[in-house]
Amino acid sequence: MNRFELIESLVPVLEDTLVVCNIGIPSQELFAICDRENHFYMLGSMGLCSSIGLGLALTTNKSVVALEGDGAVLMNLGTLATIGNRAPDNLVLLVIDNGSYGSTGDQATYTSEATSLAVMARGGGCSNVIECSGETTAGVLADALSAKQASVIVSKVIPGNRPLPVVPIHPIVLRERFKKVI
Amino acid sequence: MANQSISSQLVDKLKSAGVNFFVSVPCKLLAGQIRLLEEDTDVCYLPVTREEEGFGICAGASLGGYMPCILMQDSGLGNSVNALKSLVQFFQLPVVMLMSYRGSPGEPVPAQVPMGLLAPELLRLMQIPILHCHQTMDLDNIAPLIEHARVAESPVAIFIDFQLMEGDA
Repeated sequence: MNRFELIESLVPVLEDTLVVCNIGIPSQELFAICDRENHFYMLGSMGLCSSIGLGLALTTNKSVVALEGDGAVLMNLGTLATIGNRAPDNLVLLVIDNGSYGSTGDQATYTSEATSLAVMARGGGCSNVIECSGETTAGVLADALSAKQASVIVSKVIPGNRPLPVVPIHPIVLRERFKKVI
Repeated sequence: MANQSISSQLVDKLKSAGVNFFVSVPCKLLAGQIRLLEEDTDVCYLPVTREEEGFGICAGASLGGYMPCILMQDSGLGNSVNALKSLVQFFQLPVVMLMSYRGSPGEPVPAQVPMGLLAPELLRLMQIPILHCHQTMDLDNIAPLIEHARVAESPVAIFIDFQLMEGDA
């Protein structure tokens, strides 16, 4: 399973949550599979999806899913300590770990070698950390959301990207339609 | 209010202007404010590990309908340019930046001065409004600045001089 197929399987589970989606191809794939007003496509600022999700989760009662990538988490590792200590129960950090920087030409990340984001998340203080295959992730996410406790899911998939255009929504339109459903 | 510490006046001015969400990257000049926020049950406060991360969290809080503020050194502005331009300013989110001005007289660490001297010019280049607080009366301009952040849907910066914090509790 690759990222596109994983996102396809997650879309039904994400319907009643607020989704903050990683920059680049992950956002383009989510947009192409299913565009909803509860999706916040980052458009810029690589590495900050989990942080935006944390700030949002701290200021709303709704469930927030930060749909992150392995390369982006490696860019902002401090987030695992902040989330490990301060995440409210309504935050799920779901790292799509394909071991590659998909949006920039599939260069390998260190999670394709010796690095484990699940171990790093536990080391950061995150208590509910689940590493799973892409095929089982939708069920794991549904369980994490119904458990109503902060969770980190590291979903292992293979590299690969759909050739898709940039998300064609103006940032202010995106902001306003997202705020309406919060 | 003559006996109230500058730190306490600053936190009160921010809160009365509607700021209700704070993150901090530490600075000894802002230690008083951070100590107050740690004990403040009226607002959400959390320490963060780096300025860029803090701007991400503030952006999320702004989407959630809060008025966020990041406490940081001006040197941290160098870590934050892309987060400000491609997130906070791109989505036009009001965020208050409360920054110690480490380029001012009283700064004991030589390496803090170059980024301190650059910071106001960099903010102007980034089109971020600045309030520079040299003395207590400048704090009265905090409320109008934060209202401007709302109207302009923009981050705004407050600089705090060394000499203003001198002798603060």
